[in-house]
Amino acid sequence: MAKADFKNHSLPSARIKKIMKADEDVRRIAAETPVLFSRACEMFILELTCRSWAYAEENKRRRLQKNDIAQAITRTDVFDFLVYIVPEEDLREEMNANDSLLYYYVPPHVGLWARS
Amino acid sequence: MDPMDIVGKSKDDVSLPKATMFKIIKEMLPPDVRVARDAQDLLVECCVEFINLVSSESNEVCCREEKRTIAPEHVLKALEVLGFGEYIEEVYAAYEQHKLDTLDSPKVGKFAGIEMTEEEALAEQQRMFAEARARMNNGASVQRQSDSDRSLDG
Repeated sequence: MAKADFKNHSLPSARIKKIMKADEDVRRIAAETPVLFSRACEMFILELTCRSWAYAEENKRRRLQKNDIAQAITRTDVFDFLVYIVPEEDLREEMNANDSLLYYYVPPHVGLWARS
Repeated sequence: MDPMDIVGKSKDDVSLPKATMFKIIKEMLPPDVRVARDAQDLLVECCVEFINLVSSESNEVCCREEKRTIAPEHVLKALEVLGFGEYIEEVYAAYEQHKLDTLDSPKVGKFAGIEMTEEEALAEQQRMFAEARARMNNGASVQRQSDSDRSLDG
């Protein structure tokens, strides 16, 4: 994926900290940490949008829809954690569309290098 | 942080500013492309979930290292573990830039406000060396010499 030319769209540190602190296990956060999250979020959104847009283009649409995002999530392994927040009906559509993609594991030939 | 701050609030109540999010989204799309409202909202939700995920993993990394504060290196490690290793370079660059930006702020160092030319600074340095040598030689008088650009021999 080509590197986007990042303009400065930093997400507010205070908001990021608030989201992090909603997790009870999270205690102290170094002051500069939200800066890393801000850039990571920007990259994440760019990637998710890009993949979603690819699907919309495939379907010759000039409007990004919810199911485009759903398909990006089902098609991308690292986005598995998002499966739980996508509405079930959008997800089901995409899962059915992907039924034809089946991967078989072919075991290596046993005994090819058998010792005499 | 007062625990009462979180009473009655769920994670869903804390979101990210929509205007900024929308700018980021639009950056990736051709100018004539529109984004359905519910698609936009979903992208924002995904981003919040991303923060939760990385935050949680960063916390685990932090605990495993027996530290109490989540630091930048924990976040970078978390990104790698979660499969977002491609982000590390850019994220680290942003962190470095932030460090530089905060260094340039007005409240810097003990020497703020003292301006010298390089020659003045060098002369001052030589004078201080001479005084130190004098102290070392137990107060033996040292003449302040104009040819003070002689380098110190070891």
